[in-house]
Amino acid sequence: MGYPFPSEAWLNALKDTLNRDERYAEIAKNWEGDMTVIIEPGERGDPESFPIAKYMDLWHGKCRSARVIDPSSEDLPDAAFTLRATIDNIYKIFTGDLDPMQAMLTRRLRVEGNMAHMLRNVPTVLEFVRCTRLVEIEDEH
Amino acid sequence: MMRYESSTEGYCYRVLHVDLETGQVRDEKIKGPAAAGFLGGAGMAAHLIYDELVPDLDPLSPEAPLVIATGPLTGTTGPAVGRYVICAKSPATWAWGEANVGGLFGPELRAAGIDALVLRGRSPQPVYLCLLNGVVELRPANQLWGHSDTYETQDLIKEDLKKPGVKVACIGRAGEAQLPFAIVLCDHGRVAGRTGMGAVMGSKNLKAIAVLGDQPIPLAGPERFSLLRARINRELRQDLVSEGLRDFGTSSGLDIFDYFGMLPKKYFREGVLDGVEAISGASMAETILSGVSTCHGCVIACGRKVRINEGPERKGPEYETKIGFGPNLGITDLKALVELGDLCDRYGMDTISLSNTIGLAIALYEDGMISGAQTGGLQLEWGDAEVVAQLVHQTAAKAGFGELLSQGALWLAGHFGVPDRALQVRGLELAYHDPRGASGMALVYATSPRGACHNQSPYYLVEIGQTREEIGIGMHPRQGGEEKVLNVVRHQDWTTLQNSLVMCIFANVPAGEVCELLTAATGYDLTTADLMRIGERSFTLKRMINVRLGRGVDDDTYPEPLFEPLAEGGAAGYVPPLENMLRVYYKKRGWSLETGMPDESTLQHLGLASYSHNHSKS
Ligand code: SF4
Repeated sequence: MGYPFPSEAWLNALKDTLNRDERYAEIAKNWEGDMTVIIEPGERGDPESFPIAKYMDLWHGKCRSARVIDPSSEDLPDAAFTLRATIDNIYKIFTGDLDPMQAMLTRRLRVEGNMAHMLRNVPTVLEFVRCTRLVEIEDEH
Repeated sequence: MMRYESSTEGYCYRVLHVDLETGQVRDEKIKGPAAAGFLGGAGMAAHLIYDELVPDLDPLSPEAPLVIATGPLTGTTGPAVGRYVICAKSPATWAWGEANVGGLFGPELRAAGIDALVLRGRSPQPVYLCLLNGVVELRPANQLWGHSDTYETQDLIKEDLKKPGVKVACIGRAGEAQLPFAIVLCDHGRVAGRTGMGAVMGSKNLKAIAVLGDQPIPLAGPERFSLLRARINRELRQDLVSEGLRDFGTSSGLDIFDYFGMLPKKYFREGVLDGVEAISGASMAETILSGVSTCHGCVIACGRKVRINEGPERKGPEYETKIGFGPNLGITDLKALVELGDLCDRYGMDTISLSNTIGLAIALYEDGMISGAQTGGLQLEWGDAEVVAQLVHQTAAKAGFGELLSQGALWLAGHFGVPDRALQVRGLELAYHDPRGASGMALVYATSPRGACHNQSPYYLVEIGQTREEIGIGMHPRQGGEEKVLNVVRHQDWTTLQNSLVMCIFANVPAGEVCELLTAATGYDLTTADLMRIGERSFTLKRMINVRLGRGVDDDTYPEPLFEPLAEGGAAGYVPPLENMLRVYYKKRGWSLETGMPDESTLQHLGLASYSHNHSKS
């Protein structure tokens, strides 16, 4: 039993997980920055249903809001960070098959935003990814 | 004055031999299997001087050869290929010596029609070597020797020759004094830092080399090359590592290394130090950064320019200098690190070796093994940048306590009766990547042909995620063991290949694209497997040299203090299983467990069998 990925239900479960996780709250206590994750087509799922974008407002160790948004929409939020990857690579990162740093350094996950802030907060980034892996993904088969 | 000839027929490696005693020059053109088998750079240098590197050769004697070598990509319009290497028997280790450097000098050498210079002999008086468009001249350098620092020397030579476009590589006071960690510096502070290549130049009474050329760099397929480099540079500009290097310099990863316990503090004794973040690349960008600098044609531009208050614009410290004189000595004052790095550059001293040696001195002082009576009253304490600056001055002058520092960490530790306390391998001081935070670095340090160095495999980058699946280099736990040995082997081979091209190790260019570039440059029909083989061949040849010099299996270890776990920080409680990793390593490399010498079958497979007999190439 898990949540279909990527779905609003999965995103809400992630929001709850982040807000419950004490370690994330401690390590991310200085983090200020919302984030848009743009998921591009890949091998998984119906390519027609991509791109998909998820927006998360992360603030001082909490997730203040999370929602699925239309990446082609005019009023796409101007988030502090934009992450881009194919559904396959995002899936691998969130299920623990791809190290997030490795994904960034091998061009599988592209990041735009204030890199100085990102570099100073690598522990927060890694904690965030750890929390994504706590949210069970529904087996498609 | 003598003339040399250059040639552009096929892939041909053009070597100019210069005898500094007689002024005689000789051209050599290397083609066929040797050119194809080593390509250039450090691998070719090993091939060129293999016969001469025998155990009783004093690296500072006139007959000791010094090679300055470019590669088939140096000076082209390719990505991050402004680099060259300087190789010799090292006066620091009496083993294989190699230093890699960027800037503009290497490309200029190729534009002058020379791929490698081999220097022998000792000039009867200080000279500088001029290579101006086919003309070789030794010019007096008495006016420079003992008088000018590395930047002044460049300016004075340009004035002397009345040629502002000339490129100069030179030594400072440390090279003149033949200190084992003397560097060669060129351009805006690009440094051939390790293994004492500046001392070898100094021993030849050679203050500098000045070069100017106007020949095109030979390329087999110039149009193909041009299309490829445009594509690769476009990709490089969007690469996260390149972006980090451009925005924050080589210390862009400082916070990450600190978090993972890979960043040494207080001579590798502590895992945590308050204030480290103040010296990160991002902090420098927000405070004193005034610009960036780059090597020939490199779109990454990792070099830093800084300005403190209203002072002059200067070179900003790169990662190793920052950590060596910074957290390694308990210092977190960015401005002090700029001063210390600049001092070392001007005197011509390697910042890694000297900061490591000073770290050892402070550690021994802390432990009561060195007293104020021995330091001339200086109190050696962590975090005291002023005292460290005094030690730098004293070392360059071989004065006061600096005389004891001037022979490096192993010598200093031996002098105080504790040789095991020196953090070195084969006599070369450790670079600043703590293997307790990234165990692959343990194996890299233990097996690198030039000692405890990070440039024969910057494996710390793989440890944080810069994998290369296309050549079988994947991700393993940072604190793993035997399972990552093959990864390390492949990474060493790949890096050795880069050091033959010569391509900067920071350039994150996929292997397939390097292969295409090289094919377009040389006309050879190469595969990535061929490139890995070339890297392995060069790595193995350096190994053969070291075994012959008596620096084989017994030296394949690393210092005792690093077998102690740290109490705090990202690496707390962990020690790499080096013994087990080494056992697997020899097997993967095809080396004898007893002697460390490559097996006969390994030599056959690499086409090195002719080098094994009498340790001489046929
Ligand atoms: S990345 Fe830096 S060191 Fe390497 S070639 Fe470019 S400017 Fe030079």
